[in-house]
Amino acid sequence: MFKAMVKKEFLLVFRDKHAIMALFVMPAVFILIMSVAMRDQFNSKSVEFRLSLDDIDKSVMSEKIITNIKKDKKFVIVKDNQDANFVLKIPDGYENNESKKIEIAVLGSIKSDQIEACKGMLLEHILGAKLSVLTKNIEDELPDDVGKLPSINVSSDDVYSVTYNDSEDIPNSTQQSVPSWIVFGMFFVIIPLSTIYVNERKQNTLSRLSSMNVSVLSLVVSKTLPYIFINQVQVVIMLFVGIYIVPLFDTPALEINGSLVALGAVSLSLSIAAVGISSLIAVSAKSSEVATTVGGLLNILFGAIGGVMVPKFIMPEMMQKLTVISPMSWGLDGFLDIFLKSADLNGVITNVTGLVVIGVVSLIISMLLLQTKINKGL
Amino acid sequence: MIEIKQLTKRYKDKKALDGLSLNIKKGVVFGLLGVNGAGKTTLLSVLNGLVKPDGGSVNICGFDISKDIKDIKKISSIIPQNFAFYENLSVEENLDFFAKIQNAKAQDIQNAIEINSLEDLLKQKASSLSGGQKRRLNISIGLLNNPQIIYFDEPTVGIDPKSRNEILDSIKGYKDFGITVVYTSHYMNEIEKICDEVAIIDKGQLIEHSSVEDLISNRNTDTITIQTVYSSKAHDLGLNFIDDTTIQSVESNLCDILQICKENNILIKNINYGSSNLEKHFLQKTDI
Repeated sequence: MFKAMVKKEFLLVFRDKHAIMALFVMPAVFILIMSVAMRDQFNSKSVEFRLSLDDIDKSVMSEKIITNIKKDKKFVIVKDNQDANFVLKIPDGYENNESKKIEIAVLGSIKSDQIEACKGMLLEHILGAKLSVLTKNIEDELPDDVGKLPSINVSSDDVYSVTYNDSEDIPNSTQQSVPSWIVFGMFFVIIPLSTIYVNERKQNTLSRLSSMNVSVLSLVVSKTLPYIFINQVQVVIMLFVGIYIVPLFDTPALEINGSLVALGAVSLSLSIAAVGISSLIAVSAKSSEVATTVGGLLNILFGAIGGVMVPKFIMPEMMQKLTVISPMSWGLDGFLDIFLKSADLNGVITNVTGLVVIGVVSLIISMLLLQTKINKGL
Repeated sequence: MIEIKQLTKRYKDKKALDGLSLNIKKGVVFGLLGVNGAGKTTLLSVLNGLVKPDGGSVNICGFDISKDIKDIKKISSIIPQNFAFYENLSVEENLDFFAKIQNAKAQDIQNAIEINSLEDLLKQKASSLSGGQKRRLNISIGLLNNPQIIYFDEPTVGIDPKSRNEILDSIKGYKDFGITVVYTSHYMNEIEKICDEVAIIDKGQLIEHSSVEDLISNRNTDTITIQTVYSSKAHDLGLNFIDDTTIQSVESNLCDILQICKENNILIKNINYGSSNLEKHFLQKTDI
């Protein structure tokens, strides 16, 4: 009996084209669009500056500057100015004429903090080259028995070290978009679930099933399992998009650094919460229109508060604290911990437990409500 | 077969069933008449275990409804007024699903298909069926568990006269298999046509319980009923239709009615002298 009920649920949902669009196509498209669109807006530890070099001076000093810059992996040296963000021009007579300045042209719309970062790195290389040439000149004029001058480093890495606070790991656009839209997409099971629930109730199919000795427990659980399975398929497809499709658009690929067991646990618990909350709305609503409207609004609200639409790390502190009221935030944080901090099951156990509890409680309330409605003749 | 004693059910301030007592014998087609809100649907819901009564007792085939509801559900079946199946599944998938839910035997599934002439529609999606075909699918699902009792809740609403007659004929045939049928309808002629006994319910109470034969034996010879073949334009001619195909009038108007029918190509199947005593009785008893 139970097998037949689960099979029926699968047949119904896979014949609902709108549900398929909402569950699979919508989040996949969002992941692609948002990952690519926000690619340059997210901080990254490996910033690249495309630099075009124009050495007119051709002196020892200018060659040393060019050599230093070329050694720096943060700079990508391009030949054509059209491909460059910055053009560095060393004018004729720069080495011997103190009044001559190196010219840096900024091409296109580059954020001011990136310009400052680029200027800082170029200054480091220019000063390094100048010091190197100066030291060489001084050494050449010193008597042989004096020996060599001590080397002076101007690399920031040699002067100071920077440590990052792990709790403030910032994702790149793919790391943010993939889990965000997975979470959002999973909660969209409200659409097919509510349609089936309300239709069954309206057309007396639920009464008929009840008159056939089908218990409320069987009714609810037979609907829950297929949607949990569908949610897991969603997760696999969205991860595939993040790992293999997004990089085709010159955007960082998703890397799963944490444990796969933890990933499965977050995905499963999030699904239980999504299906539980959706069931509760579907059972409470009088029509599928009400269910999809209330469910849709709740999804958007959960998404907005939970850091799906606006990343949590750019929210004000008060808003960041508010995210805790959204179950989407619990799931999203779990995914981010796995992707960014290589979390294992212990690292996400709080999120997993919270999601399972809210899901199971919602399912129990759904069953009680459904039983009450059946007792009242629906 | 079905013994109902002092059955009561209340929804907030409204008494849906008010001390109703009724006996239904095995193998009869039993008509249940009543205006909207009289308590018919509540009674069917109680008999099917969908609603718990507040008081009274019901015994069905030796099973007490308060203790043995699972056994009662196994031997009975309700055919709801709505199409209680899945529109996005095919006829075959619907039958397969409801059969597995009830562990139905292959022979019973085959019988349900044959009785309702669904053989050629099995692969068709339920949403693409006509109203009559959907009604037949709705009924066939109710037959899958080979029930001893079938409850029909206004099963001919919204279908064409041809399909209606086919359904009524098939319901009439169930008693040949020893099946007890409890049938609710608003159409008096349907009750007259297929039922052996009838009960009239009003405000949750039993008003009348009698054999249909007794009720229709005494006819009012002043009135006539003319059975026509269904025509959509017939209803615009000012004739007194009591359902889709039946005109009721007084005998003195017969010639005029026949003339109108002839001029408008409305085919007449038969003419009966005397009105339905059942309808008259129903109207009197329910104070309409």
